[in-house]
Amino acid sequence: MDRAEILKTLKSPAKWGQKYSLWAVYFCTGCGVVEIPPVITSRWDAERFGVLPMATPRQANLFLITGYVSVKTLGAIIRTYDQMPNPKYVVGFGSCPVNGGMYWDSYNTIKHLDKYLPVDGWIAGCMPRPEAIFVAVVHLWQMIDKGIATGYERYKDNYEYYQTNQRAILPHLAKFAGAEAAPGRNS
Amino acid sequence: MMAASTVTRIVSIAALPVVGFLVGVLFLGLSRKITARIHRRYGPPLYQPIIDVVKLLTQKENISHGILFDLGILLGLAGALITMVFIPAGGLRPLSASGDFLVVLYLMLLSPLGVALAAGASENPNASIGVSRKFILALGYEVPFLMAALAVMTRFQTTSLLEVVSCQEGSVLDWGVFVLPLPAVATFLILPAMLGIRPFDFAGAPQEIASGPMVELGGKYLAFAAIQGALHTYVVLALFVDLFLGGGASMLTFLAKMLAVFFVGVCINAVLPRFRVEQGLRYLWKWPTILAFFGLLIVALRLE
Amino acid sequence: MDMETSFAAILPVAFGGALLVYLAGKVSGALRNVLAVLLAAAPVALVAVLYGREVRIVYYSLPFLDAQLALRTDALAWLFAIAVAAIGLLSIVFSLRYMQGGERLDFYYFAMLLVNAAMLGIVFSADLLSLFVFWEILSWATYLLISYRGGKAVAAGLKYMVMSIAGSCAMLLAVASLYATCWTFDIAALARQVGAMSAAYRLFILLMFVLAFGIKNAIVPVHVWLPDAHSEAVSPFSAVLSSVLVRMGIYGLMLIMYGVLGQGGLAELKLGPVTFAHVLCWVAAVTILVPLFIAMLQDDAKRLIAWSSVGHGGYMVLGIAFGTTLGVAGGLFHALNYAACVALLFLAVGAVEHRTGTRDLNELGGLMKRMPVTFVTALVGVCGLIGVPLTNGFVSKWFIYKTLIMEGHPFLALVALVGTWATILYGYKLIHNAFLGQLPSRCREVREVHFSMQLPMILLALAVILFGVLPGIPVRAISSVQVSLGLEALESGLWALPPAVGELNTINILAGVVASLAIVYVGFALAKKARRVDQFDSYGAGSYVPPDRYQYSVNFYQRAHELIGPYVRDRVDDFYGWLVAKAEGFFEEARKIYTGNVNTYAAYIVLLAALLIVLKIGGQFG
Repeated sequence: MDRAEILKTLKSPAKWGQKYSLWAVYFCTGCGVVEIPPVITSRWDAERFGVLPMATPRQANLFLITGYVSVKTLGAIIRTYDQMPNPKYVVGFGSCPVNGGMYWDSYNTIKHLDKYLPVDGWIAGCMPRPEAIFVAVVHLWQMIDKGIATGYERYKDNYEYYQTNQRAILPHLAKFAGAEAAPGRNS
Repeated sequence: MMAASTVTRIVSIAALPVVGFLVGVLFLGLSRKITARIHRRYGPPLYQPIIDVVKLLTQKENISHGILFDLGILLGLAGALITMVFIPAGGLRPLSASGDFLVVLYLMLLSPLGVALAAGASENPNASIGVSRKFILALGYEVPFLMAALAVMTRFQTTSLLEVVSCQEGSVLDWGVFVLPLPAVATFLILPAMLGIRPFDFAGAPQEIASGPMVELGGKYLAFAAIQGALHTYVVLALFVDLFLGGGASMLTFLAKMLAVFFVGVCINAVLPRFRVEQGLRYLWKWPTILAFFGLLIVALRLE
Repeated sequence: MDMETSFAAILPVAFGGALLVYLAGKVSGALRNVLAVLLAAAPVALVAVLYGREVRIVYYSLPFLDAQLALRTDALAWLFAIAVAAIGLLSIVFSLRYMQGGERLDFYYFAMLLVNAAMLGIVFSADLLSLFVFWEILSWATYLLISYRGGKAVAAGLKYMVMSIAGSCAMLLAVASLYATCWTFDIAALARQVGAMSAAYRLFILLMFVLAFGIKNAIVPVHVWLPDAHSEAVSPFSAVLSSVLVRMGIYGLMLIMYGVLGQGGLAELKLGPVTFAHVLCWVAAVTILVPLFIAMLQDDAKRLIAWSSVGHGGYMVLGIAFGTTLGVAGGLFHALNYAACVALLFLAVGAVEHRTGTRDLNELGGLMKRMPVTFVTALVGVCGLIGVPLTNGFVSKWFIYKTLIMEGHPFLALVALVGTWATILYGYKLIHNAFLGQLPSRCREVREVHFSMQLPMILLALAVILFGVLPGIPVRAISSVQVSLGLEALESGLWALPPAVGELNTINILAGVVASLAIVYVGFALAKKARRVDQFDSYGAGSYVPPDRYQYSVNFYQRAHELIGPYVRDRVDDFYGWLVAKAEGFFEEARKIYTGNVNTYAAYIVLLAALLIVLKIGGQFG
């Protein structure tokens, strides 16, 4: 952790800020969220890493997709992701976002999250332990340092691809103006 | 001679907001660290709020709901800045001759008004609920606070904060807390409400109303709102110290007294849960009001 | 044109103008509108040239009472006259578009100008008989205008009329009694003679006048006509009603308390340690406290502002009754400031009602996007109401607070300060429910009002800010009023008070606010420029925003309502209602004397004759 290294900080204060102040939007997407309360409370104390839960996506820059993603939840996830301001990072937590996990043959879950949202990192496990979140956070710091945590830029650059996939599975998705102005608002 | 005194004046006017800002940020960091230690965990470093503010200000994208949204946040922070300059702080007393305690009480309105306008412009009912709760809370704590403030002003026969501070300069026993014990205790009981910390933080409850007025604030707007919160804490603590703890002969003693009061506030915040709105209102209008009322009555009767 | 002619021309122009406008309306609507504006502007010009002069003219000699009816102008009269004329002009300009297409417009403009003229007559009267005559004209014209719309407005007008008549009777009693004692109606002459009267008589006279003026100014417990009247009247007239018409009560109080009785005379009216002024202060305190909390719970925008009028009238009476230099200056200044703010707010609500068709705060929202000028001026008006620093309301309230604290009346100061917090709550509710939040879909095509309706609001908002930043301008006029009534002058610079009076320097505050805003803006501009999102891209917990269902307006202060609602019901109104019901019941019973049966009537006659005979015989023995 190079939080207190002043010279490095002065070279890029933006990076320093993004690394050591990751605010996660407190959206409980699936059963994996049962690991989050222990992480943010006294026993595992995520606050010493700078990670805090935030109530609304406007205030957050980290999105932990915890657990399986049902089709209905995917709509909410996409809208929440669109409302977060750049730069934003998505981390898939658990096996379900990676490849469907336990629900690999369900008709109602998403098997590969990164077809619909750009994901910066995955945490495998069912459930991963809280320490795994900290390993992921440290990993994310290193990626931010090297400048390769660019999920949000991928989203902007390949918006057509993501939107096509989203509309294929959610034909009536009412979106906000995300990276581009999206048509169709009220449904 | 004239130039030197004008320069000193300008320097002191400019220094106070800077000092206030640093103190506010330090107090924010201190509160998170102390809360963490009370919770038996490590907690973030003391300079964590600086990291947060830097992150928010350097964000690559900011979202706004229109011109009133921008102006409201600007007014919120500017209001807090201007209020600080009118409160005597240790040796620095820049603009206190242009506005007495009544002016300070009303300048303290500019900041919440700005935030309330920005929250209204957010076009979100969570923000509106947050603002209505905030105003109800303010109505709650203003009744005992005004009684205590009037007791101080009537006892010292002045509405100027400078004179209130100088009346307490003799010895420790001249402090407001010994001269006017009932109003001081009443103000201490409502201090968490004025600071907006638990058990009275229902105005910006993340779990109930998605952080209330700050629901649509992100990036630089959230940074300004956070700084405004820190400055508001400074203003409330400075007022308490000036009214009841004898101000401060120098900046250091002033800050030390503020720190002591703040420490108690943080301890209360760390262990208590949150009131409901009507519970908070009932509490504020019960014992603090009764104590402050009797304090004011005693002072008024002494005048006869 | 010398002063006397120009002064003598004011009332004929005003009254004649009303008639002329009515007749012109029969010819053409456009001619009537133009004439109305011109004839409303004429008194403004004529009054403005009279600043600082003292003129007196006799206009009628009563042959039978040996009295001369005269008009005079002095500092007090000028202050109120300029406010009356200016607000009259602004509301006529607003009415041009607002009332367009309405019915009986000739009558409407006639009545508006008549009300204007009557108020000018009241403030310029030099003797009590003229005052009473103009007062009656004003009351009747007001009744006609309040019930202009028909329906519920007629009931509201009737309520007003009954209470106003009660006040007028009290005034007539006092005027007649004074004439019977001093053989003169002239105010200046009465002022000289009244010092020789007994304290009890002076108290009686003062009480009668306070009743009359208090009913007009709506102090508790005679305030019950105001909320209904203000809500049911048309908005331009509500503006006039609330800003200058009810303040005729303040003018009257100043005239009688300080012009006739004098400060020394007032101090003698006491019962033990409690003076009459003291009692009046506490009545004013109740008037501040309860109505302002009732305003918080209203859903009808105009009713909210009407209750606000009742409450702020209490501030004015409190300042005036308190009697110190700062107090009287604060009370008078607040009358002036509040006139500007409340006229502005009624015009703004009228503009909203004009475009959206409703003034129910539960159904509006987000209008600042469609009506920005109305919103900004309404915001300035609400800030003036609250007393945000740099608005005029702040300076006048500061005077009142300061004098209450320094003279050692902390509980009165407490009531005044808590009243301001109630004002903050209902002020924000008004702004939020009408202009902030989500725009309902049926208001999506609402346009801003025409410039002729915007202009009065803009001018009033400018006045609010100007008098807040440079309070010396009106304070000088008010100080000359105090001097003319025998009180001490209030010294003040253009923007700063001398240190002996207190610490208030509005230019420094303005400089500080501007500098802070500039500093903050620099930081703001250095960060990345924001992307604009519309009202449907708002936090909805991952859901889309349901149109027309995402506004928090209903029960805006529900929690506080639950706690304080039972205590702030208008029990006085309930009491009057009970009284009226009982009286009607009694009259119903009394009516049964008229049975319509000739036999009963014959029996009555016989019984009465028998009674008279018995009394006569009994009297001869007694």
